[in-house]
Amino acid sequence: MKSSMHAGMRLVLVLILAIAVPSIAGAQFGHPMKGQWSGEWGPKNSPNRLLLNLDWDGKEITGLINPGANQAVVKSVTFDYTNPTAWGVKITAEGKDAAGKPVAISVDGKLENLGAYTKLFHGTWIEGAKKGEFTVTRN
Amino acid sequence: MKSSLRTALVSATAAVVFASSVWVLGAQEQGNGAQGGAAAAGRGQGGGRGRGRQAGPALPTPRLADGTVNFGRVPGEKGVWSVPYITNMGMQLVGDDGQPLPEIAQSRQQAAAARGAGGGGGRAAGGGGGGRGGSKSEPWMPWMPWSAAMYDYNSKNESKYDPEGYCLPPGGPRMMATPYQMEIIQMPEHNRIVMIFEGATHVWREIYMDGRKFPEGDLLNPTYLGYSIGRWEGKDTLVVENTGFNENSWLDYFGHPHTDKMFVTERWTRPSKQTLHYQATVNDPGAYTKPFTIAWDIPWRDGGELPEYICQENNRYLNRLEDDFGQPIFGPRVQPGIKPAGGTR
Repeated sequence: MKSSMHAGMRLVLVLILAIAVPSIAGAQFGHPMKGQWSGEWGPKNSPNRLLLNLDWDGKEITGLINPGANQAVVKSVTFDYTNPTAWGVKITAEGKDAAGKPVAISVDGKLENLGAYTKLFHGTWIEGAKKGEFTVTRN
Repeated sequence: MKSSLRTALVSATAAVVFASSVWVLGAQEQGNGAQGGAAAAGRGQGGGRGRGRQAGPALPTPRLADGTVNFGRVPGEKGVWSVPYITNMGMQLVGDDGQPLPEIAQSRQQAAAARGAGGGGGRAAGGGGGGRGGSKSEPWMPWMPWSAAMYDYNSKNESKYDPEGYCLPPGGPRMMATPYQMEIIQMPEHNRIVMIFEGATHVWREIYMDGRKFPEGDLLNPTYLGYSIGRWEGKDTLVVENTGFNENSWLDYFGHPHTDKMFVTERWTRPSKQTLHYQATVNDPGAYTKPFTIAWDIPWRDGGELPEYICQENNRYLNRLEDDFGQPIFGPRVQPGIKPAGGTR
């Protein structure tokens, strides 16, 4: 009985650590766009999941949107630093639709909470003929 | 006035974070001098903290049996290096001659004159004293657009996201600018040198002197302090090359960013028993368009020993730290990524 209680406490401790530690491990103070971002875009009742995997090579941001079979490759990323606390970010990318035809992706958003672990990138997402709002946070 | 008040609050918070002792307060007072003083980057003219400064004539440089510099204690004596508080490395750039860049020297003179005239605005106004004027106040820095913008952001919020405030270790040269005591222990029989730091989360640093090469690929695990390989240049200068840094730190309190592409070449000399001269060339093609070199002196504190200091203990700063949306950074959030009503502050 005592042993199972200890096991339970250990499990709780592990769960707490599993939740708490990533917030520390996720520290990243290099280029704020670099990293893995997750969220969604489109209508709230049937949103499309998003995973952005972005890297900074010292010259440009490169990366993938929704890595996998239906991934889109980032073509360009440009920044507008006019607002020091909310950078303007435009991304163009190219993916494929269900039929395998190229689909252009155009993203126009703001990068906020720049210094915090939970950086926020949100704005307008256009994918082919579809358009909607998007929000992703840095993992 | 408001800005000054906020600066004062941030400083007070930093004192709590860094463990709240008279020791720290003394360090901060001296740190102001180190940052704003024109001679800080010079040689032994006030670059360090007063408590570690030695009076009297320069004593001969201690040496090991093979003639190389002894960066530590002389047998039978005590002593530690009293690391100065360098809050803004952008004001520590030196040229090829090792002297402060002319524009920095001029900037400091102007700031000193302003203070002398009762202006007192050198720091707070971001003027030549190395204040919070953002990237434009340091035109000599080889900014990339993003690093300048990030520095402006850190200036604007007065470094509230400084990772050292979270008790994370300083990265790279900031180890030599965090105002606690440090000891260098040379072990030539083991081909390595170890640096032990009182502050900066009580960390140590190992420098390999066995002629090895840097690990490549995934074998080079990114860390706060990087991977250090040293060699002697003659018998007076220890050259240490460092790479493999992670991106979890800033270069300084003011928030000069760096990336994991940073390569730092340090040159250590001990021109006298009382003075350690530190010089570091920062080459970070991920954040700056060209390398730059920074330098300052670290004074010897005769008779000193390393005390214990644990930054993490009672770090209440974290409990009330909020992000740009007013959400607690380390506490429970309403919902990640969702702006609470009221928007940004």
